[in-house]
Amino acid sequence: MNPNPQSSDGKHDDDSALSDFLASLMDYTPTIPDELVKHYLAKSGFQCPDVRLIRLVAVATQKFVAEVASDALQHCKARQAAVVKDKRDKQQKDKRLILVMDDLSKSLHEYGVNVKHQEYFADSPSTGIDPASREE
Amino acid sequence: MSGVESTKDMRKGEDVPGSSLGIPKADDFGRSVSKIAVAQICESVGYQGYKESALEALADISIRYLCDLGKNASFHANLAGRTECNVFDIRLALEDLGDSHGFPGASEIGNCLVGSGIVKEIVQFVDTKEEIPFAQPVPRFPVVRSGKLIPSFEHMNETPPGKHIPSWLPAFPDPHTYNHTPMWNERASDPCADKIEQARQRRKAERALLRLQQRLVCNGSTGTCASSVLDAKTENIQEAGSNPFLSAPLQQGEKDVSEVVLPAKLSNEVSKGDHISLLDAFVPAIDAMKTGPSDRLDGEKTFLPEKRPSVQFKFKTGKKILGESLDLSLQRKGERSSTFLLPDDERDDKKKRAEFILRQTTEYPMELNQS
Repeated sequence: MNPNPQSSDGKHDDDSALSDFLASLMDYTPTIPDELVKHYLAKSGFQCPDVRLIRLVAVATQKFVAEVASDALQHCKARQAAVVKDKRDKQQKDKRLILVMDDLSKSLHEYGVNVKHQEYFADSPSTGIDPASREE
Repeated sequence: MSGVESTKDMRKGEDVPGSSLGIPKADDFGRSVSKIAVAQICESVGYQGYKESALEALADISIRYLCDLGKNASFHANLAGRTECNVFDIRLALEDLGDSHGFPGASEIGNCLVGSGIVKEIVQFVDTKEEIPFAQPVPRFPVVRSGKLIPSFEHMNETPPGKHIPSWLPAFPDPHTYNHTPMWNERASDPCADKIEQARQRRKAERALLRLQQRLVCNGSTGTCASSVLDAKTENIQEAGSNPFLSAPLQQGEKDVSEVVLPAKLSNEVSKGDHISLLDAFVPAIDAMKTGPSDRLDGEKTFLPEKRPSVQFKFKTGKKILGESLDLSLQRKGERSSTFLLPDDERDDKKKRAEFILRQTTEYPMELNQS
């Protein structure tokens, strides 16, 4: 692969970094509980008695969810800013940031996940069409 | 604020399994726990509230992400010829899932496994993010229940019926559960007595039906009953000697027959027009009695006398005269009954049909009983 002696040192550094990280994982408690992660991993065929790896998976999932949520939050704030520009008096009401399906679907779209909220009323011919192609 | 929010989330998470409509599914517990966890993560990101549908979708996606990670990791482990996963498998799985979004170092080939960009990102994440433990202790799940086993031969202190059956196998079921014993009918049956009983019941039904017929006939025509009976009487008297078909018609006044008092309406009608015979006057009523409301004779209005007239007629025998003679005459001489009415073709056909039906009902009361 890489016969460079520098990289071999780097490898050792990485090695130690990884082992250190795994050790530090024991102190960190991920938000997603261990039992839940163990259950779903067992369901999908992941066999490992090591708790650190379970924690690693939990942390990875937490990171993913946090990223999606923060993207949705950006969308939500952008939407509120756009609204506030038009009507100043709405500033008071829209202070609360609420996780809505629209923002979620927009942020998940970047991750390749298509989540669409079912529309209650089909009152126009353009109902149900992909919002990107729909003219607003 | 965060404490309040988290309790609200908790309540939301707890409420969902109880208030869910429909059949509780096997994965409900896992889903609700993950919903709580995802809500906590959202709160840490900065959200102050959520919509139920959005949170459910996000929880579902996070569960899928978790399952995908596990599947990919086990795939990589199997690829390397192992059954247990290690950190490298997880890292490869993370890279697979992160390929679409991109991570630092994705384009580099020959990269050392430990120096993966993704792992570095995770390390960064752990370092920067504050620790948020899960709000509630989660028990071990799924709970494994020990199944109820069928007791073995040893347990039952039975010896297995064959030498080839070891004693630690489950015991055979009790013989009464699979042995077929014959069933006996306790009641003694006497075919003769049964037949006699059947015939008796048939006769009873016949009599009851006859009585019903008589009642209907009487109610149908209050006045004509007498006249028809009268006519039947005269015919019966005649028939004693000769063939009724060949006998000459009675002349008026030849036979001493008692007068029938006509009801008021009818007598008025009669007095108005010419003298019409008794039979003529009562033909429409007889029609109505026999075949229900059907076509009238020359457009005559049919009417049944409201008041029952006082009639005097000779009785042959005491019992069941009113309807019986009529019916008996119908029974015994089917064609004869048409002679005491005016010979009119249409009416004869109708009469014949009605008599046939009546004969059917009296001869076969069993069908009536069963229906």
